[in-house]
Amino acid sequence: VVSVIVSRIRIAVVDWWPRFCAALEVLWGKGWMSPRSLTFRIIAGTALWSAILLPAAALTLNAIYRGRITEEFDRRLSRLSTLLIASSAIEDTGEPQPPEDFGDALFNLPLATGWYWQIEPIAVRDRESWPLLSPSRIGSPLPADDLAPHSDTTSLRVFDLDLENGEALRVAHRVISAPFAGNENAYRYVVTGNRGEIDRAVADFASKIALALGALGAGILILTLGLVRFGLQPLTRVQAGLARIRSGEAQRLEGRLPLEIQPLQDELNALIASNEAIIDRARTQVGNLAHALKTPLSVLNNEAQTAKGPLAQLVGEQTKVMRDQVAHYLDRARMAARSGVIGRVTMIRPVAEGLVRALSKIYERDGVTIRLACIGTPAFQGEKQDLEEVLGNLLDNAGKWADSTVTLSIKSAGMGDFQGRNLPVVQLLIEDDGPGLSDSQCKEAVQRGARLDESKPGSGLGLSIVRDLVELYGGSFSLSRSKLGGLRAELLLPGAA
Amino acid sequence: MRILVVEDDPDLNRQVTAMLTESGYAVDSADDGEDAHHLGETEPYDGVVLDLGLPSMDGMSVLERWREAGLTMPVLVLSARDRWNDVVRAMDAGADDYVRKPVELEELLSKLRALLRRATGHVTNEIRCGPLCLDTKRARLTVEGEAIRLTSHEYRLLSYLMHHQDRIVSRTELVEHMYDQDFDRDSNTIEVFVGRLRKKLPDDLIRTVRGLGYCLSDPNSGG
Repeated sequence: VVSVIVSRIRIAVVDWWPRFCAALEVLWGKGWMSPRSLTFRIIAGTALWSAILLPAAALTLNAIYRGRITEEFDRRLSRLSTLLIASSAIEDTGEPQPPEDFGDALFNLPLATGWYWQIEPIAVRDRESWPLLSPSRIGSPLPADDLAPHSDTTSLRVFDLDLENGEALRVAHRVISAPFAGNENAYRYVVTGNRGEIDRAVADFASKIALALGALGAGILILTLGLVRFGLQPLTRVQAGLARIRSGEAQRLEGRLPLEIQPLQDELNALIASNEAIIDRARTQVGNLAHALKTPLSVLNNEAQTAKGPLAQLVGEQTKVMRDQVAHYLDRARMAARSGVIGRVTMIRPVAEGLVRALSKIYERDGVTIRLACIGTPAFQGEKQDLEEVLGNLLDNAGKWADSTVTLSIKSAGMGDFQGRNLPVVQLLIEDDGPGLSDSQCKEAVQRGARLDESKPGSGLGLSIVRDLVELYGGSFSLSRSKLGGLRAELLLPGAA
Repeated sequence: MRILVVEDDPDLNRQVTAMLTESGYAVDSADDGEDAHHLGETEPYDGVVLDLGLPSMDGMSVLERWREAGLTMPVLVLSARDRWNDVVRAMDAGADDYVRKPVELEELLSKLRALLRRATGHVTNEIRCGPLCLDTKRARLTVEGEAIRLTSHEYRLLSYLMHHQDRIVSRTELVEHMYDQDFDRDSNTIEVFVGRLRKKLPDDLIRTVRGLGYCLSDPNSGG
């Protein structure tokens, strides 16, 4: 039986190996073969369990079946044994005679069918005619040595007997003593059956069982895979939801989930909310710090400027350093508070309109007009404050230097890669007709704290914070000469669909 | 020209007030929102420097209420809130310019001057009227290129008249815009200053319009 199963498995393995390998490669590619994969763990667990359980079941069933078949076979042999005794008439001498027309054809054909009968006295084989044999066994009695040990009892005994020629027999052995006058002999009545019949039936059964259990195992694996995919589907939904939050399409995880995963969603939502609260708090405190520091700095600086003497000069210089440092680090603190923020989407037009409105009012008196050209409804993948900071600083610079015209044009510009994410590109162009900058100045201008001309007010940090914010979003910022004559500042920022 | 300075930090308030007074403006100061609101509604200021973070009523509300009440004087917002969002909100609420703290007094002054000039329709620092040229940045008067020394009261009077040239300005208006709140006002002193000014300036520039006030105009401009 085991050899049958093994051979079947070998055939299956040889036949299916290439396909199995191909399937493994696909699974490996999907990351399902990693021990970190839940699918892999569950499938591997199920497979391992099935690999133990199913063969065990097959062996058990096989053993039970063999037992039943053998029992049946033995009963049949026992009946034949009784029939043999009954049909071999005993002569007056007390000697049994061969039965006429015993059993079925298997006993009467002169072939090695495995179905034999044999009658002989236990004590001696004193006559040529002993033992009496079935026609199927003419001329070659069963080996006496194998039968002898069973002669100690008169009751029926059934046992296996393997002949030298390879025949496997099942033997029903019975001893009858016929106490006739002058003949104290006991006679052995032997009926054999072909044990191969049992083996064949069992092997047939085993192959059917192997097929059925194999199908069952495959079914279990497929079903488990399906259940795992189905069961893990809510997690995929959570993952998709988180991706939407990251990309700014959603603020929190929505939808009803299975009871087991609902707490995860609730906790994630709570985490997002508390993250936002922390950032808001940090911002407020940074703002408060700004308020708290800036007025005293103004006072010190102004006092130092009106007073005379080395102390005043020192205080003046140091307050300027402090002012720049405060501005620099407050900007960075705000940025740091932001860098972990889950993505938001900001509509660009209202922000641009507000800034243009405010700055127009400021620069109008210098005869500067600020024009806005915005195509479509572009959206920025990021914080409103950051967009305001970037656009405000650039527009403010342009307003300061322009002779008469500043233009802000906004349009979408295809797709681009932003920190590994493929997103729409929004192009923002700020141009003025002022003196502009040379190429080397353009490069220098984006350096931290560079201020090329001290004649117009401004801390000089405007451009470097623009550069840092744009970098934070993986965008690009460049300065060049505008066809209006002045500076052309180009921003490429991640957009939102 | 009369300016209201609203700033709750006493030192900064003092500094701004001193700087503006030195530059020839009549300056009132307030250190909380309600005072500022009240002063702005009752006194005719030519310009306001307004801090946003104020006790009792914040600067933004003060500004909004002034504009709702129809007051149009230029307001320069001075604030530690440096987000562009704050700038846009303040400008939308009716501010005319925005200066971020920490503030350089020079910057504040130049922006305020620009606001005052624009409010009266002048574009440069120099206001001209016939042979007169008043440099509001340096607080200097020249007549046909020759510098004329003025006392601070004379300067304020002339500056107001030059900002509002070709228009009749009443004595009361002059008093209100020349002196700060605490000054002991007497419209007769105006006549004294006008008399002194006339002596320093070419004839016929400052006309007296009987019963109404004074009018500064260029006699050669046909108007």
